[in-house]
Amino acid sequence: MVSRRFILNPSRTAKQGALINSGKDTPEYKAVVTTLTMDAADMKEMGIESGDSVIVRTEFGEAIFQCEPGKCPTGLLFVPYGPPTCKLMGGDTDGTGMPTSKGWDVDVEPVPK
Amino acid sequence: MYWGGNPAECHPRHFTKYTLMQKSKFLPRGRKDRTMILVDIRETKSGGAADIFLQIRPGKDFEVLTILRAILKGQHVNESAIAETGLTLEQLTDFIDRAKKAKFGCMFFGMGLSMTRGKHMNSAALLTLAAELNAFTKFVAMPMRGHGNVTGADVIMRWQTGFPFGITFNRGYPRYNPGEFSTVDVLVRGDTDAALILGADPGATMPQPAIDHLARIPTIVLDPKVTHTSRLARVHITTSVAGISAPGTAYRMDEIPLPLKPALKSPYPTDQEVVRRINEAVARKSHWIPDGGPMTILQR
Repeated sequence: MVSRRFILNPSRTAKQGALINSGKDTPEYKAVVTTLTMDAADMKEMGIESGDSVIVRTEFGEAIFQCEPGKCPTGLLFVPYGPPTCKLMGGDTDGTGMPTSKGWDVDVEPVPK
Repeated sequence: MYWGGNPAECHPRHFTKYTLMQKSKFLPRGRKDRTMILVDIRETKSGGAADIFLQIRPGKDFEVLTILRAILKGQHVNESAIAETGLTLEQLTDFIDRAKKAKFGCMFFGMGLSMTRGKHMNSAALLTLAAELNAFTKFVAMPMRGHGNVTGADVIMRWQTGFPFGITFNRGYPRYNPGEFSTVDVLVRGDTDAALILGADPGATMPQPAIDHLARIPTIVLDPKVTHTSRLARVHITTSVAGISAPGTAYRMDEIPLPLKPALKSPYPTDQEVVRRINEAVARKSHWIPDGGPMTILQR
């Protein structure tokens, strides 16, 4: 499978925020934090259909997400913060105390069906 | 102006209660008397509320802010530098013209500015722009916080120590150095051999190397619920929920303290009660240095 370089921006959503209070063990929360939004043209180019799994890798780790098309510039990905994004985040804070939490260079590869 | 934030999703009452809809003595028509500019790398739900949406390229926040400062000061700006940001000179000039003509401007900046490449340099550039606009009109800036009551933690630490975060007490007095004494750095370097976690779930929010270290050391969690952090902790003490079954104070993002009145009773102790009892138990133990603490050593 061919992988492609994207910029991943973990972010917050109202649904994710509400589900944090319902419980992080609920299937709804797990579904929200593993759903990756990608530009529909990018999905088509990579041969990915809505609901397909992709493996996302940074230099620090990897995690599996389910893809869905959304309002998203080409080359960018968005996913709500959660335990899967922790695996992709590096620990260096560049002397600020805050790890780089957005704008990661990631390699995305479809998971064979 | 909102920069790198999405209040429609993250702070859903911000527009209606705080920034856009409120009618006032000087703005009697509410929303019609205000102009909202949104700056982000994609058009979020907040875009629907904005009069002007400026879509910049990822990682170009510092460059855009620096160009805006140059335009404000009447300096020449290179066209190729503008082209890299994803905006046009007309958009940037219009931004500055509107800002200068405003009676009272407010910049709210979110994690899209402060947590991307550049981090505190991005925040500093925005704060400098806000400061420089005060040569023309009244302008202020305020961060949009990521978690509930982060402002409260900052306010209390500032009041107690003079610093907002990233503080060590290991010499017996507070010292501040982000990157050295801040939580993520201390955990990732493996400097700490114990952790006490209150009202947070770093096991589901911090980078994996920090989470791995929390699992290696004796971690104690005070939390009303089972969380990712409580599962990796050696000790989890169930506490009552602040604002629901425990009293306390929460701070709004503009640092207004809000007293919390519990509506329900809880069989569990409050965080404050648990920490008080731990402190009392620690005070009963003899000091780990035979002749007293670090202050005693310094005084010799």
